[in-house]
Amino acid sequence: MVRVLAVAMFAAATVAPQCGSSSSGSSGPSGPVQNFQTLVVNAGPANAYLDGAFTTVTVCLPGQSSCQTIDGILVDTGSTGLRVLSDRLSLQLPQQNDPTGAPVVECAPFADGFTWGPVRTADIKMAGEQASNVPVQVIGASGFPVIPQSCSSNGPPEQTLDALGANGILGIGVFRQDCGSACTVSGSSNAGLYYSCPASGCRIVAQPLAQQVQNPVALFATDNNGVMIQLPTVVPGGAPAVSGMIVFGIGTQADNALGTAKVLTLDGDGNFSTSYASQSIGSTYVDSGSNGIFFLDSATTGLPICSLSTDFYCPATLQTQSATNRGLNGASSSVTFTVGNVDALPASVNAAAEVAGPNPGGFAWGLPFFFGRSVFTAFEAASTPGGSGPYVAY
Amino acid sequence: MTPVRLALLRSAAAIALTVGLSAPAAAALGGSAATVENDRVSMQGALMRMTRNDDFAVHEIRTATGTMVREYVSRAGTVFAVVWQGPWTPDLRQLLGDSFERVQRSMQAARQARKARGVVAIDEPDLVVHISGHQRAFYGRAYMPGLVPSGMQAEVIR
Repeated sequence: MVRVLAVAMFAAATVAPQCGSSSSGSSGPSGPVQNFQTLVVNAGPANAYLDGAFTTVTVCLPGQSSCQTIDGILVDTGSTGLRVLSDRLSLQLPQQNDPTGAPVVECAPFADGFTWGPVRTADIKMAGEQASNVPVQVIGASGFPVIPQSCSSNGPPEQTLDALGANGILGIGVFRQDCGSACTVSGSSNAGLYYSCPASGCRIVAQPLAQQVQNPVALFATDNNGVMIQLPTVVPGGAPAVSGMIVFGIGTQADNALGTAKVLTLDGDGNFSTSYASQSIGSTYVDSGSNGIFFLDSATTGLPICSLSTDFYCPATLQTQSATNRGLNGASSSVTFTVGNVDALPASVNAAAEVAGPNPGGFAWGLPFFFGRSVFTAFEAASTPGGSGPYVAY
Repeated sequence: MTPVRLALLRSAAAIALTVGLSAPAAAALGGSAATVENDRVSMQGALMRMTRNDDFAVHEIRTATGTMVREYVSRAGTVFAVVWQGPWTPDLRQLLGDSFERVQRSMQAARQARKARGVVAIDEPDLVVHISGHQRAFYGRAYMPGLVPSGMQAEVIR
């Protein structure tokens, strides 16, 4: 009886459609793995986020079945690697040590601050995909309470749920490691992200590429050349929440084909260029972890700054703007977007397309750019049907 | 290597050592022109070039980690603006000087209103700071409006 039931369940699993409506789990032995999972734009676990995309990640002890599923993880195409707040993590992940046996701790820089915490190793599971033995950062883990001055000079710490607004960050930008070769060298040219922390204190240490915090999607067995993020159109005035999809791989399965998306290749810094009115702006980028379209200044755009939410623009009425993005490959794409009054958004609204703010001299295409689009991010040196990464395509 | 060249190298090393030992943690932004050199030494950078017009001079420093830092010095001899662009954020405690802790507090302050994520925008009468970018490509600009030469547009600072 038991045996018959087991066989029946196995049969049900194998005939289940691969591109079904929802749910998790791995596929049958012969079919492709499920390469997609939902993400949601809502207030996040701190109940204080406008235009943040969150998803769920399962972390496991390496090679073991002991796992923990954590939701409220911010999906960030502007950084690399999985970082989890230590107080959200009940698993005791193994610590990464340097050749002297001292624990390795990271100071990870972000534009608006830094995260400080040890590098530990985990297996990471999303949808039907898995990456094994991945270096991740456990933000604010006990045992390393003293943040070196060379780290805190990056800005404010983002060590708590309140500061981060998320339980963790899933960095799936174009780079395979968060630092790269700039952290593998010794001496003053070391970028200073990785520290060796014996009991006597922390000092900056050279960190080999494979030991750096890694883009977990690039380490999946399949669907590992990039990601696609798909979010619905949001009506003017916004919504309390919208849900979309993160799909792993580009052109690897039926659900992640490039189709008519235009490929804009990126420079070595992960940037392209944008023209607005008669101005050409270099070093522009797409970043799901920025919560608005941050561009230029009031003098250039004619958009007034909000009186309350002073990080944002607040035109009296909805304004339509346009700009043209240009990749390193010369491909260009015109983008129309709206800018609305952020102060006028009801408190219940957590997802809005018209969120924009000042960024003098620059152009950051944050999460609102993703609404109503499928945006592909191809990893550096990855092979895809649209050519080699790094690129963005939409 | 010729003896002359070796001697030159030795004296250069001696000068570098002296400057390094005497480098105070003095302010850059809002400080005197002399603090530009403190910043350069602190960031183990190289002065790439200096340009000057009637109103201000721009000192361009390349830090040891490859980030370009530009410091704007008024004719009165005060650093009124600093700009950085590159893979890594420079030492903001050094570069922003006395303003650093204020900037840090402002970035952490609880807001009644909506908060930007991924960029920094501080726009106060006496201090303006904007930071943006992503890992491996950061951009920042800070200036003190009260110290900017009269008639100069803020957009020139970049």
